[in-house]
Amino acid sequence: MAGNKGRGRAAYTFNIEAVGFSKGEKLPDVALKPPPLFPDTDYKPVPLKTGESEDYMLALKQELRETMKRKPYFIEKPEEKPDIERYSKKYMQTYKEEWIPDWRRLPREMMPRKKCRKADLKSKNAKGTDKVSSLIDTADVLKKIEELEKRGDGEKSDEEYEEKEGSKEKRKEGDDNEDDNDDAQQEDYEDEEELEEENDYINLYFEDEDDFGADSDDNMDEATY
Amino acid sequence: MTQAEIKLCSLMLQEHFGEIVEKIGVHLIRTGSQPLRVIVHDTGTSLDQVKKALCVLIQHNLVIYQVHKRGVVEYEAHCSRVLRMLRYPRYIYTTKALYGDTGELIVEELLLNGKMTMSAVVKKVADRLTETVEDGKTMDYAEVSNTFMQLADTRFVQRCPMVHAPENSDTQPPPPAPNLVINEKDMYLVPKLSLIGKGKRRRSSDEDAAGEPAAKRPKHPTDNKEPIPDDGIYWQANLDRFHQHFRDQTIVSAVANRMDQTSSEIVRAMLRMSEVTTSSDAPFTQPLSSNEIFRSLPVGYNISKQVLDQYLTLLADDPLEFVGKSGDSGGGMYVINFCKALASLATATLESVIQERFGSRCARIFRLVLQKKHLEQKQVEDFAMIPAKEAKDMLYKMLSENFISLQEIPKTPDHAPSRTFYLYTVNVLSAARMLLHRCYKSVTNLIERRQFETKENKRLLEKSQRVEAIIASVQATGAEEAQLQEIEEMITAPERQQLETLKRNVNKLDASEIQVDETIFLLESYIESTMKRQ
Repeated sequence: MAGNKGRGRAAYTFNIEAVGFSKGEKLPDVALKPPPLFPDTDYKPVPLKTGESEDYMLALKQELRETMKRKPYFIEKPEEKPDIERYSKKYMQTYKEEWIPDWRRLPREMMPRKKCRKADLKSKNAKGTDKVSSLIDTADVLKKIEELEKRGDGEKSDEEYEEKEGSKEKRKEGDDNEDDNDDAQQEDYEDEEELEEENDYINLYFEDEDDFGADSDDNMDEATY
Repeated sequence: MTQAEIKLCSLMLQEHFGEIVEKIGVHLIRTGSQPLRVIVHDTGTSLDQVKKALCVLIQHNLVIYQVHKRGVVEYEAHCSRVLRMLRYPRYIYTTKALYGDTGELIVEELLLNGKMTMSAVVKKVADRLTETVEDGKTMDYAEVSNTFMQLADTRFVQRCPMVHAPENSDTQPPPPAPNLVINEKDMYLVPKLSLIGKGKRRRSSDEDAAGEPAAKRPKHPTDNKEPIPDDGIYWQANLDRFHQHFRDQTIVSAVANRMDQTSSEIVRAMLRMSEVTTSSDAPFTQPLSSNEIFRSLPVGYNISKQVLDQYLTLLADDPLEFVGKSGDSGGGMYVINFCKALASLATATLESVIQERFGSRCARIFRLVLQKKHLEQKQVEDFAMIPAKEAKDMLYKMLSENFISLQEIPKTPDHAPSRTFYLYTVNVLSAARMLLHRCYKSVTNLIERRQFETKENKRLLEKSQRVEAIIASVQATGAEEAQLQEIEEMITAPERQQLETLKRNVNKLDASEIQVDETIFLLESYIESTMKRQ
């Protein structure tokens, strides 16, 4: 014991034999590199459990993974253009069902509010003005009323009619203050919307489905995930 | 959160919700709760994308929000809840075993969609079931909602926190985020849909008369206008209840392995009696008298009261202490000690891991140290009856892998090695933590390997999918056998072989994930119950 001190293996302050090295035995080298990535194992792993329930759970797991990818919750990265456009790609696209979150349960800032609203109004305005310009003659207005009546969409047609009337009147006032007109119109819209229902956000921000025509696809992206 | 857990969360989110959600989710897990604007800034993702991702995460109960002062809403991710996604197959399978296909689909829909209203679940499940049964038959809404009510009664599904609408909202501006409150009383209360259910059933039976299955029914325009009866009442799967069930099953099977089938039936009866009366995180069940147990044993299980008492005494005397005796009234009061049971199960897991990794002789040393609590090195060598040199080698190996820990007790204040006792001991809690951490790592590795395998063979997989699609479409048009064979031969023999290998490997990896999760469950329950007791 005492011999260890001072000479030879003086680096150790304890009895080296206690750790399992006999006197004079060579100590193992210092490890200077990280252990191997796939070290050899002394014992082979036991085989996995197999059985009916295991098989069923395996199938469930794999099915679940595939289903998740087709759910609207799976948000894909905007794809970069592939080098070769494949013909088959067209047929492999899956169409996801839409998902409209229940906004009442989410913080207000989650709602795609402003953009959606503006875009919505714009498209609506565009529609309105188009129709107005095509129906400049007052005679045509009657026709239009009939048409709307045929559609049988009572409530809505009334609204539209009023809107048109209003916008027409403003139009008559002069073209130079059209911007103001637009603003006024917007206000009109907002008032109407708020009258409809105070706290039903879905109705407020996602108007009748008719409005999501071919021209307002981008709005859809904003609103539904 | 350890790195291994975060990595696993990241993989889970990516597999289930895509890369954008993964980015936001992982960012929230790393940083804790954050307001929207900071998330947008720090992740460098567009505002819209962040909003979408957060909506998805909130929908799936993975993120919660809170309003802080000055109306800032902060979002916080639940890391442990994300990891639960690994267990989804097991939840679904369990419900299938308990409540059949209908229950299976209800829980599956709830897990896939995060939260849903009861009417939506019932509708979806009825439609899905109708698709599977033969033509002409339909699945009644009433039948599905019955199963749903059973699930709610046994607490496998529960209500999500409700939106608490502030009163006289006209005068004040609406709050920045809805106030979600949990109403304990209503947690498992199924909304009165019976009337509506009948109405729906009538409608579907009307259509039965017309010979049109419900699934194929075109959406009535009136459907949109009629108010949803249970609007705003959302349901989710109650994962804690599932865990309670898993725990009980494990205890029952452990008792069956240790003693015999009859004693496991007795324990099962005790657990079933206290299922509803005991909360899922209580350390003990309510005390049950032997008379009560005798009455609630399954019918046709013919054992006399005397035999039952003998069994109970035997169970209470067992050193593992799964069952404890708490009093003598009513023919003896017995409880099931969950804490002890989970500790025994966790210890058994540790032992078996050591046995499989280091061999049986190491396991002997481990058990020895476990039993004797503290041992000096010399004692270990003697008691284990293993040559000193080998014993040392094994002991150090387990020490370096952190299964065994070392306690220094200096005789003098200078901590000189020659005047210090070195005691080897097993700290089960920390060893279990370490093993749990390793399990997380293993699952991460398994998923990464699976993704790698799939990516390597992407071209082949796509090809086989295409060929399958072509075959299906050709078959639909009624092609000849020769034609079909020709198409099938588009995949060459070596390719077919490669596909087979891939499938086998992926299956194996997937199965391993599920089975590692069983160990994860056990260790987590043990750690949780021990932490609560302290």
